[in-house]
Amino acid sequence: MSEHVLVLISAAPGATLRAADREALGAARAFAEGRGLAVACAVIGHDVQAVATEAAERGADRVLVADAAELVTFNGDRFIPLAVAAIAATEARVVIVPRGPDLLELVPRLAARLDGASVMGVVELRGDAQDVSVVATAFGGAAHAVYRFNAPGPRILALAPAVAEAPERVAGRAVANEPIAPSEVVPRVEVVTPAAPLEGPRLEDARVVVSGGRGLGAADRYSMIVSLAKALGGMPGASRAIVDDAWATPAQQVGLTGKIVVPDIYFAIGISGASQHMAGCSNARCIVAVNTDPQAPIFRYADYGIVADCLEVLPELIRLAGDPGA
Amino acid sequence: MHVLVCAKRVLDPDGVNGYALWGRLKVDESGRSFDTGGTVPRIINAYDEQALEAALRLRDAGVDCRITALTVGGEDAGEILKRCVAMGADRAIHVFDAEAQTDGFRVARIVAALVGELADVDLVLCGRQGSDYDQGAMPGALAEWLGASLVTMASGVAAEPGTDGAVRVTRAVPNGEEMVRAQLPAVVSVSNELGQPRYPSSRGMLAARRTPPERREATEFVEAGETATVELVQLIVPDVQGQCEVIEGEDVRTKAAGLMARLRERGLLNV
Repeated sequence: MSEHVLVLISAAPGATLRAADREALGAARAFAEGRGLAVACAVIGHDVQAVATEAAERGADRVLVADAAELVTFNGDRFIPLAVAAIAATEARVVIVPRGPDLLELVPRLAARLDGASVMGVVELRGDAQDVSVVATAFGGAAHAVYRFNAPGPRILALAPAVAEAPERVAGRAVANEPIAPSEVVPRVEVVTPAAPLEGPRLEDARVVVSGGRGLGAADRYSMIVSLAKALGGMPGASRAIVDDAWATPAQQVGLTGKIVVPDIYFAIGISGASQHMAGCSNARCIVAVNTDPQAPIFRYADYGIVADCLEVLPELIRLAGDPGA
Repeated sequence: MHVLVCAKRVLDPDGVNGYALWGRLKVDESGRSFDTGGTVPRIINAYDEQALEAALRLRDAGVDCRITALTVGGEDAGEILKRCVAMGADRAIHVFDAEAQTDGFRVARIVAALVGELADVDLVLCGRQGSDYDQGAMPGALAEWLGASLVTMASGVAAEPGTDGAVRVTRAVPNGEEMVRAQLPAVVSVSNELGQPRYPSSRGMLAARRTPPERREATEFVEAGETATVELVQLIVPDVQGQCEVIEGEDVRTKAAGLMARLRERGLLNV
């Protein structure tokens, strides 16, 4: 049996593969090819058959599934023993974890438990499975760092956004699910009050995102960002600076420590283009920048730019957006 | 309750970003650090400062806390401990280690051994990640090796009603906030949603002068010559090459119209 690269997916009930999961399968496939490796995928959650099926259709050679009612939400104490079992079953040396909200718990704990090592924000894998090294983002994306490992256990690698293409889906390509044996765990951490279910659309799924930054000059002008987003059928986002100043809410923050968005158009309005921010939006199909400073770094990332005061440009854009004939 | 707050001294990421934004960020001859001519300051990791703030708010809320600030790092790393004591930490420990800059697993091993020695630590608070290498490995590895609870992305820490064997933690999650109960001992990593940390008081600054950090050596906790679990081999400054079309026009109105016309032409807009 050939060695495996393992993709570790935690899936929500009834969900399909997320873009991040598909990218992880693509990265695993790219690494496996030419190195004589096969791709395994472990799916952990409840009601996850759709994810398991799509993983096989997108090229997983083995699919391991842990499906139980108590796995309906992520709990590290419950998930880690199952991930450990999946790694043991596949003898994986390289484990790829798609980006997601639970990385900060899952990735280092798994590495520490197995006497392995982990790196977050991986943009490139080098070497072979026995001697892998990685390139990862550092300083909010301003730099990349090359790491190598000195640990007996597996390398647990969390990917940066959009570093791999989703593998093509071949309908009907199927492999039998291998069940991962449940493990008896009494969690040390339990949810007392869950977050209110999200009402309405998510920023991460928006096709148009209009984000404002310090260039707006004052909190009340953020309403113009909201108006333009609404007029374009999109959603409003924000730089971390104005979220810290409470001009916008944390849920609107785009960037390394906020939301990662991949819209068709991203408007960066009064935003300088710090790499911390660009880490959250640089994979948009088209970036539009409005800034008074023609030297602002945002113009290095943008496809289209307007050099002008955003407070003058915003009313014009809002008017034009509301008038398709204009 | 004994609360240990772990803090790291980092190269100011805003300073590094500033260099990167203007295309002037360069890697020095070692290949593993930046050549910024010493103009970028080293500061306390902002997330760690917020972890200390979380500890101080717990004490302000009436929980009987002793707060110990800890850093692991080279000669100057102890600088940030002065700020921690000035903000309100009772005690400061500097574990001297020239190797610890990028390997969170090594730091977690050292901290786990120190927590074992201190024997009475109930709660470890740290930042969600270092704002330099953005890895966030330390809290998870530490919790794992201590057999402690782990809560990440905390935006607030409070006493758990009716027991002193647990804490109540508010977490920032994609949908907003959730509240969890974590059994002690626990490791809690704090995110920026916690809000602004306080400024040191003048009384605190006096205390900082009277409370020098206790110095320990990493080799008391890990074997000398131990290789890094995750080893930084090289830093690279990625190339960002812009292809921006600047929309020209005699006034703002024509520029805005030119932009919208191009976006509609490319089929990027539905309105």
